[in-house]
Amino acid sequence: MLIKYEFLKILRKKSTRIVMTVSLLVTAFLFGLPVMQFQTYSQEGVIKGLEGIAYEKEQAADYSVPLTNAYITETIGEVQKLFENPDNVGYDGNEKFLIDNAYWDGIAPRENLLNIIAENYADPNESVGYNALPDLDISEGTDFYGARQKKIEKLLNASSRKLSEEQKAYWRDRNGKVDEPFTNGYYEGWKIIISSFELLMFALLAVCIVIAPVFSGEYQAGTDAVILSAKYGKTKLTTAKIIASYLFGALALTLHVVVALGLPLAAFGFDGWDLPLQIAGTTIPYPFTFLQSVLVNLGVVYLVLFAMIGLTLLLSAKMKSPYFVLIVLVPVLFISMFLSPNGTTGAYNLTLFLLPYRSTMPEIGKYISYQFGGLVLDAFTMRAVLYAVLTAVMLPLARLGFKKHQVV
Amino acid sequence: MELQLQHLSKHYGTKCAVDNVSTTLTPGVYGLLGANGAGKTTLMRMICGVLKPTSGRICLNRKPIEGLGESYYVHLGYMPQDFGFYPDFTAREFMLYMAAVKGLDKKEATTRTGELLKLVNLHEVADKKIKSFSGGMKQRLGIAQAELNAPDILILDEPTAGLDPKERVRFRNLISDFAKDKIVILSTHIVSDVSYIADTILMMKDGTFLLQEPMSTVTDGINGKVWELLVNEREAAEYSNRFSVVNLHRENGKVRLRMIQDTSPAADAITVPPSLEDLFLYHFGEESSAERSE
Repeated sequence: MLIKYEFLKILRKKSTRIVMTVSLLVTAFLFGLPVMQFQTYSQEGVIKGLEGIAYEKEQAADYSVPLTNAYITETIGEVQKLFENPDNVGYDGNEKFLIDNAYWDGIAPRENLLNIIAENYADPNESVGYNALPDLDISEGTDFYGARQKKIEKLLNASSRKLSEEQKAYWRDRNGKVDEPFTNGYYEGWKIIISSFELLMFALLAVCIVIAPVFSGEYQAGTDAVILSAKYGKTKLTTAKIIASYLFGALALTLHVVVALGLPLAAFGFDGWDLPLQIAGTTIPYPFTFLQSVLVNLGVVYLVLFAMIGLTLLLSAKMKSPYFVLIVLVPVLFISMFLSPNGTTGAYNLTLFLLPYRSTMPEIGKYISYQFGGLVLDAFTMRAVLYAVLTAVMLPLARLGFKKHQVV
Repeated sequence: MELQLQHLSKHYGTKCAVDNVSTTLTPGVYGLLGANGAGKTTLMRMICGVLKPTSGRICLNRKPIEGLGESYYVHLGYMPQDFGFYPDFTAREFMLYMAAVKGLDKKEATTRTGELLKLVNLHEVADKKIKSFSGGMKQRLGIAQAELNAPDILILDEPTAGLDPKERVRFRNLISDFAKDKIVILSTHIVSDVSYIADTILMMKDGTFLLQEPMSTVTDGINGKVWELLVNEREAAEYSNRFSVVNLHRENGKVRLRMIQDTSPAADAITVPPSLEDLFLYHFGEESSAERSE
């Protein structure tokens, strides 16, 4: 009963409706933007929007195949052959590239795949495209997955990373669990979702704005004296307020997630949900499909939300006005938006990757790991543990803050 | 039922809001009088367990209330001064919510809500949002919520503040209805409110009890000190400058003065029976003059 009324208190406020509406519109706009702005190219020119998406999907269908070594060798060979004909090759003074039909027929429909293959053979931090493929020696075939392992070893042993042996072993183990051969396919919708997760921060902010008055609003309105002098004012009511806040937060975020995921998936399709992440970057160490990766990161986003609700409630129990709560909370939520990582290790970077805004970003290719003695945790796990612990710590403190509140 | 305040003090930094107050309260209506800042609200908040005393303790039937927890609050009904409502709730929703916070089961909550809303004459607007209510309607809703759990201790802090005379009379009658077999502490600086319904007067000044007397004898201490005198306009001005004039009433071109004075202010002055307001003014003098206008 108390939970119902506390939930109603949150929902009935005009400010709740306004904040939620604005936040949903912002989320819809931000996640809808890649759909609205989508464009691809054919020999005839630009194809925009849903027509462009349909065109790309049709082209990608021919290349949705397992990336066996034989297939990779054959593909590289085809590109090399195109480059052998001087009529196909352009030169901009810096690098060679294919032109006219050679490009539109031989490269454009599978350019993403060709870039990924070329990247697999390049050094870490070196950015190459399909035009690097003619430099590869495939006279005796190619070991695509062996090249991947070599590149990963170079990444792990890079002096700038300063990874411990335990961390290297951890990442080798993770990589060892990646299924081979990879299956290629169309995954544009998932790519957009994975690269846009941090935009859900507006939803988190909206939830925090709505629940900031849960305790402090009582102090501000002068209702604290009445409820704290009632039988369950310092006990069950506090629990009800916390549960109602979490219930609201979870529902509000779910609504935003439906919008955020629904728009790209409705436009680009569900295609690629079961494809491995490695077709977006062969050195990605997580043995997940795109869907699994999104779900895992969504789990982290929910835990970040729960911890932020905990922090909001703690501040709300301690402060006399919801405005003061937000003055503290907004920098906590968004500070990492203005800070850039300068590597993947070091206290500054490791801390930065754990701050709320950064924690919503999957950073799937970054090899961020945290070591505690012999225990190594990847970014997903570390964030999940950290935010679960923060939630567990802050809720009792929020309860205590309200219980001990003095009506002065 | 016995509520004991034992050497109760509350300090805010160097300021002492309540200073070593002790008394024992048994069922009856207590009028807590005092000027603004006398410490009435602070004392009531401590009794309600929403403000921790700096020293001293409060006992219910000889048990310290901090050890009683929820079992103390079931005895309590509190209507704070200027307390807020949830503007987006209807009166009925607010009452049901408060009933849930007070631990009433659903059936009891529904019954009590219906009864009390009728008693305070809000049953016809029970499903209207509180934000549409007048000050008087909110005050009535305030006392209704305080009475929800049929408390043994009813604490009302300035319940009639801001009400028009008709509303105040209605309110006084309501409090009288609720007061039976309860400890009712009614704080106000509007003397006439308590003079009708209080059994005992607790007068506070500078954080301490100036007096604790039954209503029937509370003015005995100033018997023979309240005077009335009929004078002309010019003399009235002179008397006002020289004596504590508590009332001035014009009658057929003359002015009837009411003064509080240990000795007779004039040969033709006559003593009259003192009222509670006279007593209040006797103790608070100038600091209360502004409040009397309320």
